[in-house]
Amino acid sequence: MSLVSVQGLSVVYEPNGAEPVPAVKAVSFDLDQGDFVGLVGESGSGKSTLGFALTGLSRPPARVCAGSIIFDGVDIAGLTPSQLRVQRHGGFAMVLQSGMNALNPVRSIRNHFFDIFAAHGHVAGRDREARAAELVGKVELPASVLDRFSGELSGGMRQRVSIALALSLEPRLMVFDEPTTALDVLVQHAVMDTIRELQKAERFTAVLISHDLGMVLEVTERVMVMHDGLIVEDATAAEILAAPRHPYTRMLLSHYGDPRAAVVEVPGLASRGTERATNVAQAVAGGAPVVEPVVEPVEPVVEPVETTPTVRRREGRAAREAIVVSGVSKVYPRHSRRDQPVTAVNDVSFTLEPGASMALVGASGSGKSTIAKLITGVEHPTSGTITFGDLRIDTIRRRQLKRLHTEVQMVFQDPYAALNPLHTVEYALTRPVLNYSSLRGRDARRRVLELLETVGLTPVEQFAARLPHQLSGGQRQRVVIARALASDPQVIVADEPVSMLDVSLRAGVLALLDSLRETWGVSMLYITHDLLSARLVTDQIMVLNQGSVVEEGRTATVLQNPQDDYTIRLLDAIPAPRSSAPRNPS
Amino acid sequence: MTPTGTTRPATSAVKTISRGHHDAGANPLRVILRAFLTIWSVPKARIGVALLGVFVLLAVFAPVLAPYGATDNSFDRSEDMSAAHWLGTTAAGQDVLSQIIYGARVSVFVGFVAGLLSTIIAVLIGLSWGYLRGLAGDVINFIVNLFLVIPALPLMIVIAAYLQNGGIGMIVLVVVITGWAWGARVLRSQTQSLRSRDFVTAAVFSGESPARIVFREILPNMTSLIVGSFFGASTAAILAEAGLEFLGLGDSTTVSWGTMLFWAQNSNALLTGQWVLLFAPGLCISLLATSMSLINFGVDGLSNPRLREGAQR
Repeated sequence: MSLVSVQGLSVVYEPNGAEPVPAVKAVSFDLDQGDFVGLVGESGSGKSTLGFALTGLSRPPARVCAGSIIFDGVDIAGLTPSQLRVQRHGGFAMVLQSGMNALNPVRSIRNHFFDIFAAHGHVAGRDREARAAELVGKVELPASVLDRFSGELSGGMRQRVSIALALSLEPRLMVFDEPTTALDVLVQHAVMDTIRELQKAERFTAVLISHDLGMVLEVTERVMVMHDGLIVEDATAAEILAAPRHPYTRMLLSHYGDPRAAVVEVPGLASRGTERATNVAQAVAGGAPVVEPVVEPVEPVVEPVETTPTVRRREGRAAREAIVVSGVSKVYPRHSRRDQPVTAVNDVSFTLEPGASMALVGASGSGKSTIAKLITGVEHPTSGTITFGDLRIDTIRRRQLKRLHTEVQMVFQDPYAALNPLHTVEYALTRPVLNYSSLRGRDARRRVLELLETVGLTPVEQFAARLPHQLSGGQRQRVVIARALASDPQVIVADEPVSMLDVSLRAGVLALLDSLRETWGVSMLYITHDLLSARLVTDQIMVLNQGSVVEEGRTATVLQNPQDDYTIRLLDAIPAPRSSAPRNPS
Repeated sequence: MTPTGTTRPATSAVKTISRGHHDAGANPLRVILRAFLTIWSVPKARIGVALLGVFVLLAVFAPVLAPYGATDNSFDRSEDMSAAHWLGTTAAGQDVLSQIIYGARVSVFVGFVAGLLSTIIAVLIGLSWGYLRGLAGDVINFIVNLFLVIPALPLMIVIAAYLQNGGIGMIVLVVVITGWAWGARVLRSQTQSLRSRDFVTAAVFSGESPARIVFREILPNMTSLIVGSFFGASTAAILAEAGLEFLGLGDSTTVSWGTMLFWAQNSNALLTGQWVLLFAPGLCISLLATSMSLINFGVDGLSNPRLREGAQR
């Protein structure tokens, strides 16, 4: 008999004063003891809702409205909270994405374990110390972490602790909800390995919820694909790799590729060989007229508006310039006497040519976002110089920032945070148009609508009137891109522009950035930890490790033929379902 | 915001709110109406709004509603409740009900004006303090802390005693001087947390001036805090006004709930069995203060469009 049997389970969200939204629609499946099952879907597919229901954690406004969850012979969908609490010992546990933030910062890790032991009374007082040490040992942490507080541990260590806490009740079913999504790429890999080892050793039933089909295929034996509240495909990992049946699964799979391959292709983004892309970059760079730098380029001359969306208003503006970074370091002063000063960027030099696209890759803490701040004048470097034409960015004053930002704009990582929730799309786009051009009134409005059309948000009138929360993540990111284009910049710094988006939306946003670069001749500094996307949209690449450049060159060359260990580790951390198929034991 | 986003409400309920006008906040009437409806949708706040409405109507239509003039002392002294004088008369021979109705004018006026003024000061200082860094911030910090540590009531008494019998204007001034600091501190910490948001950085990239960033990007996101701090300050002002007048520090010839209490105490109303003289103004003061506190339950939705669409309470 199976451990868990879910029959016709439906979960509905019933917010006050709004229409109920079905999140999970009549889902049925069985889990056997010792299964390791992946649950994959994009945001809004209902996968986490299903995970919460499985572990009896559904809270209002979510409600299980139909179906049953038989766990070891008992229907847990109908249990009261106190009955559920008893069930948790030897029953089911959940590890959350933000589980690492679930630790109480003023209690030591030891106390967290002891609280659970005391609440369930299943470990005698004198054995608790040994049991706690054993549990942290299982997640590959030294026993000394028991004395520490959550603030003293790294994100990966905290997530391991929360896994150990979940293990302390000897669950037979563990649900991992995006356990590694909030972690750094390299740490992600290590934590996932731990989970895999643990599952093998302890033989509990595990459900791994993730948006990342590639990772799930690498780790689990059986995969359920969720789309719009339904399980559209339920098959072994090998079957899904070899012959995905549902079009949605095929679509998800198509977005994975190996950045090391000679030709990389995902839907919407053409294959990018080194030669073709470089030619375009050179053509754009060469085609630009060489003009003496104009001293007052802020106010462009306005010509009557009669444009197609891609016509640029470059007349009267400064000639295209390269951003030249030479010998730049950034040291953050220490906070207290015990700390060491942090060197975020160490002696980095590069030139971003007009029309070029360069990737800046590295794990978190490698200094890539700091470089973005230095280039955009948000922070000043400790040493070294950054110039853009005749403008010294490294010592720029606040008054000159506006001049810099007419030419250098930024696309932010998190589209949910980068738009003011109270302003309409039109307001967000009108402001830079008014600030950076002399267009006013109806001309300004026409320009705003033009920008929306450029980023593919049509019908433009409708999108202009919307508030950010009425847009999807991908649409928001398009608005952010449109805003960056409003000043008609020469350089766009894109800081992880797609990392917060669903896989299926990423390609669209990347393709947009890429086409803008080619048609408008904008140069782009693309900051990412994702080597696949770097391969798709950039020509040059720089790999950063702890503030220093460890490798640079043509993107295709570097990724196909990495020299530095760090680059190789980054490449290995990428889930590559197709290439990893033979390695998979199932 | 998580990529899983299980609780993200479906964006299917998209409505096109405005057609063709250039700015979400361009139509103040519409904004105010929407704010009112937001507050009205919370039951507790609805009670508060109704209560406050009654008092405002009392104050505005006092001459129509009151059976006699406020200072008309042509009646028998210290009369009990009767058909002619529903709440009796005072020791000076004035009708208590008429005094209560006229007294609402002072309390409502002081509440709104003092509350508004101290909120404006709190917003100006709190926001600039939160956005500025360096020396200017330190100086403001010092001043605000100074006002926070001075005990308010003794300061009020000292100032009121110094500005002898200045009337309502003096009381408003005293309440504002002692009342703005707490709001400024609350608004400052919210400003500091908002200023590190991406959309503020994005506004810098859009070429916005610091003043515009503070007042158009940051301020609207704190509407609920500001409205909350306004009602808090109003409550405090109403209580302070009554307190000062009860202590005899206001102009004791004006008719207000505070002076009613002052005169009732002076004429030993409790000893003579005229408890209504103390009870009625006291109840009015507490009901007015309660109405403001109840409204405060409803202001959370003001600066969150998502809450506004009625997702949760």
